[in-house]
Amino acid sequence: MKNLVRILLRFSEEIVDQPITAQVILEHGIPISIVAAHVDSHGGEILAEVPEAHVEKVVNAFREKGVTVTVPKLIEVDSEKCFECGACLSLCPVSAIAFKEDFSVVFDEKKCIGSPCGLCVDACPARAIRLVEQHSSVSHFSR
Amino acid sequence: MKKLVESSGIEIAYKEVDVVTTGTFGAMCSSGAIINLGHSDPPIRIQKAWINDVEVCHPGAAVDLYIGATIMSETRPFEYGGGHVIEDLINGKEVDVRATSYGTDCYPRTKLSTTLTKDDLNQFYLLNFRNCYQRYDCATNSRDETIYTYMGKLLPRFRNATFSGSGAFNPLMNDPDYETIGVGTRIFLGGGQGYVIGEGTQHDPRNRFGTLMVRGDCKKMSPDFIRGASFTKYGTTLYVGIGMPIPILNEGLAKKTAILDEEILTDIVDYGIPRRERPKIGKVNYKELKSGAITINDKKVKVSPLSSLKTARRIAETLKSWIENSSFYLSAPAERLPTDTVCKPMKQTEEIAFVNSLMHTAVTCKEDEEIEAVAERIINRSVNHIVVADDQGKLRGIVTSWDITNAVAEGKRKLTNIIVRKVVTTKPDESLEAASRKMAQHQISALPVIDQDRKVLGIITSEDISKLLRR
Repeated sequence: MKNLVRILLRFSEEIVDQPITAQVILEHGIPISIVAAHVDSHGGEILAEVPEAHVEKVVNAFREKGVTVTVPKLIEVDSEKCFECGACLSLCPVSAIAFKEDFSVVFDEKKCIGSPCGLCVDACPARAIRLVEQHSSVSHFSR
Repeated sequence: MKKLVESSGIEIAYKEVDVVTTGTFGAMCSSGAIINLGHSDPPIRIQKAWINDVEVCHPGAAVDLYIGATIMSETRPFEYGGGHVIEDLINGKEVDVRATSYGTDCYPRTKLSTTLTKDDLNQFYLLNFRNCYQRYDCATNSRDETIYTYMGKLLPRFRNATFSGSGAFNPLMNDPDYETIGVGTRIFLGGGQGYVIGEGTQHDPRNRFGTLMVRGDCKKMSPDFIRGASFTKYGTTLYVGIGMPIPILNEGLAKKTAILDEEILTDIVDYGIPRRERPKIGKVNYKELKSGAITINDKKVKVSPLSSLKTARRIAETLKSWIENSSFYLSAPAERLPTDTVCKPMKQTEEIAFVNSLMHTAVTCKEDEEIEAVAERIINRSVNHIVVADDQGKLRGIVTSWDITNAVAEGKRKLTNIIVRKVVTTKPDESLEAASRKMAQHQISALPVIDQDRKVLGIITSEDISKLLRR
């Protein structure tokens, strides 16, 4: 499997009705897979995966069309609180959490799918894992 | 030791190694700290007290308090508890203390409120009555729903598993006959030095489920090795780090301390069945458990430790360095831990009712029946729930009188469109308490009773249970 990179696309109210994602795919012939999306008439957010080799091209293409693009941080681990028990390991459906040889717990942000999942958060006895809100602007719009 | 015995044999290992250090760092619920506040002026004989809104126990005279690790905050339950209070105090943080009393001639004060740090306390001792289980079950869940237990979060239908303990690093596993462990054995406790003060409660040496009672000075402990923790929908606890030196007094101990993870077996236990004897569904060793995946019912399942294996190793290494630089001295026990005691179940004087005592025949239908026929059956048999079963009698879904009413109102004709497929079920040997908890949690009023093969055996309704209570 090719290495995929997560990007977060934010569409403002002005451009949300345009088929921008489809245009980028057609213009550049790069496959973009949508991991999570929340779109309404006030704006939208799409969490997408693009092949690592084409990230720059795709990001620039979206930005040219007025889309705000960020590389999302999906979960935050408070290393002060975490005592590396590993209780979270078996909850993760995409194996984004693993042990190193010395049983240190490592999080792979590239694999993590963030807010649509969040299974690990309430399994943490140290309360060290926090989901980073992906739909902040959307929830703001829909108020 | 383990590598040396493998490469050079027991004889050489016995001659070469003086002490093997061990360690474990895990949730140990039967933990707490005894503190003495010093006397107030005018004095109070505390009757009830809270620290940071966590009620603390007042077991003795005027100002002695016991902070139980599992007592939850009254304002932040499930998030903050006695274990966190102990951690905060060890960290040097200030805590709020409130107390009330009835007042006596010698202790006239009835109310007290103050803030304290560990430096203000006369004594601050960890006093844990059950710690350091020799080994523990591996937990998994057969139910159709996620459950939250003291063994952590368990996904439905055996989708994950959890385990506790450090396996071959565990102190008691390295000296299973307790040749060197007993009252007075000096140990690493929470980053400081403490003592074994006896066997722990539920000590069960014959089944290799030995436990320890320990004591240590909290003022000398470090939050690296002692932490408050929260188990979602279960409660709070304390993670305790314990390390023990095992002096290699004879060849037997050289052999015993060479124990490997793959030699330590434990049961895979179904925590989905909330009974004292939870069903055992297989065996697994600690090497498999530490690998991250085990096999349950021929399927590969991810497994999480609840104990920190990294910290366990760090504890054993820290203890080793203390011994090497003469800041820790080994002590011989005044009395060894018992090797022959048993752990009895509770004697019960009241009968417990199970689902099979109250269940009755379910009124059923087939998936391809007409809605009208099912509605008629609801009226004729005066029931609210119709269980949908296939030709073999296996559960396919459930339909309620409400679903039928709804369907009629919306003009739906086909039964298949209104069948509820995700059915919460029970088994004949489930306690009525567990069954009614399920109904309350899911806001439903009946549970089909099924067997291992999902064959419908009957039904139990909330009406049945309330009738029983009125008897």
